[in-house]
Amino acid sequence: MKIVQESSKTKIVSNIIVAFIAMIGVSKKQFNLEETSLFHQLVAEIVSPVQESLTNSQKNISTFWENYLAIVNTSKENAVLKRTVSRLESDLISLEEIRKENLRLKKLLHFSDEEEHKPIMAQVVGWDSANEFKVIRLNKGSKHGIKLMSPVITDQGLVGYIFRVTESYSDVLTILDQNNRVDIVVERTRTHGIVEGVLNYKCILKYVMSRESVEVGDKLITAGVGGIYPKGIKVGMITNINRENYGMTLSIEVNPSVDFDKLEEVLVLIPGTVNKTASIEVEASK
Amino acid sequence: MRLRLSQILISFSITMFLMIGFEIVTSSLLPALGWQQYRLTFNVLIILFLALKLDSPVVSWLILILQLVHSVFSIEGWALGTLAALIVVASANYLKDLLQLSSAFMTMVIVQFFQIVWFATVSLIICLKLSDLTKLSMLFWSFIPGSILLSLMAPFVFWILETIWRVPSDSGPSGVEI
Repeated sequence: MKIVQESSKTKIVSNIIVAFIAMIGVSKKQFNLEETSLFHQLVAEIVSPVQESLTNSQKNISTFWENYLAIVNTSKENAVLKRTVSRLESDLISLEEIRKENLRLKKLLHFSDEEEHKPIMAQVVGWDSANEFKVIRLNKGSKHGIKLMSPVITDQGLVGYIFRVTESYSDVLTILDQNNRVDIVVERTRTHGIVEGVLNYKCILKYVMSRESVEVGDKLITAGVGGIYPKGIKVGMITNINRENYGMTLSIEVNPSVDFDKLEEVLVLIPGTVNKTASIEVEASK
Repeated sequence: MRLRLSQILISFSITMFLMIGFEIVTSSLLPALGWQQYRLTFNVLIILFLALKLDSPVVSWLILILQLVHSVFSIEGWALGTLAALIVVASANYLKDLLQLSSAFMTMVIVQFFQIVWFATVSLIICLKLSDLTKLSMLFWSFIPGSILLSLMAPFVFWILETIWRVPSDSGPSGVEI
């Protein structure tokens, strides 16, 4: 009887100690930036290659299927693609002219203190295992030059930013996550707002006043405020506006421009310290 | 029945490897196969087993270690889940006469109940930390499908863990003293 009582007391004391440690952990917990501990580094370096190989093997099977077995409509697709390429080539020529003009005008306005970003290509190897968070793991880490708070993009638009880095891997807090808030501008009206992640691959646009003339279909780009994301990256498109809300701000639903279901490769933009003035002046003088 | 220290270490190591395997499947394999909307939180299931089936002062420490490993796979971290698990341990202790994990159906019902307790604890803390309680209902609806699937899998996973820990399948919260 005495042994049972002692065991019960030890259990209560043990639970209280662990609860106390957990409460300290909860109070210190941040969901938008995390320093990695030695334990985390060690375990992540061991398990992440397994995650990477699993993701790669699935991709290899899909590639084999798409490239060798499912090529029935390839000739038709080829003709369509050729037409698209010729159209895009002509677009490219006019865009090149606009770029050169932009460089000249920037030089004239001395508007060249933008930060240079070095892009690093990375592959998605995993997703967060909890339901409440939308985080992806990349196969590049600090040894590849990845830094905390670096923006992550694809050709479609903004993915998120690096919030945790180990030597060979890094975690990205995507714009779908409720802990990530992106300062945006509505491209057409230049209205400012904050895009915040909600669940089910949607975002919401907050702090847009009811008097603003935003419409469904309006495109959102990063505002370049806040020091994480460069200006002008595509974020998403307005898909629904609830005007029946009698508050001061509108309730707006946003569809992210990146297709997170099919996310495979991303670009991590590493902020540098190089001032672009010199390079712009050289470019503009050409 | 009392387990020896060596047996605890072996069983716990196997359990940890099993959890890592499940975490890799949830975070890499299932998303690669197109299952992205809902996550199967196997760490919750494994910790529920420890909380419901083992009766020992070391259970809370074992839970802490498992949560530390889980934090590698999720930004949820270790602290929220540990706190939720300790609430489950305390509730299971309090309700030990009512909890009968003797049949597969009862296991599913009890696991679903404690998953809701776990979810309520974790989500409430997250929402309080974000100062936004409006997301609670949204989080709940995204939690339900995955949790039901996990409850359906619970009898099978519990059977594996019973084999690892050598626990009799009809035992309740004070099944094995370690």
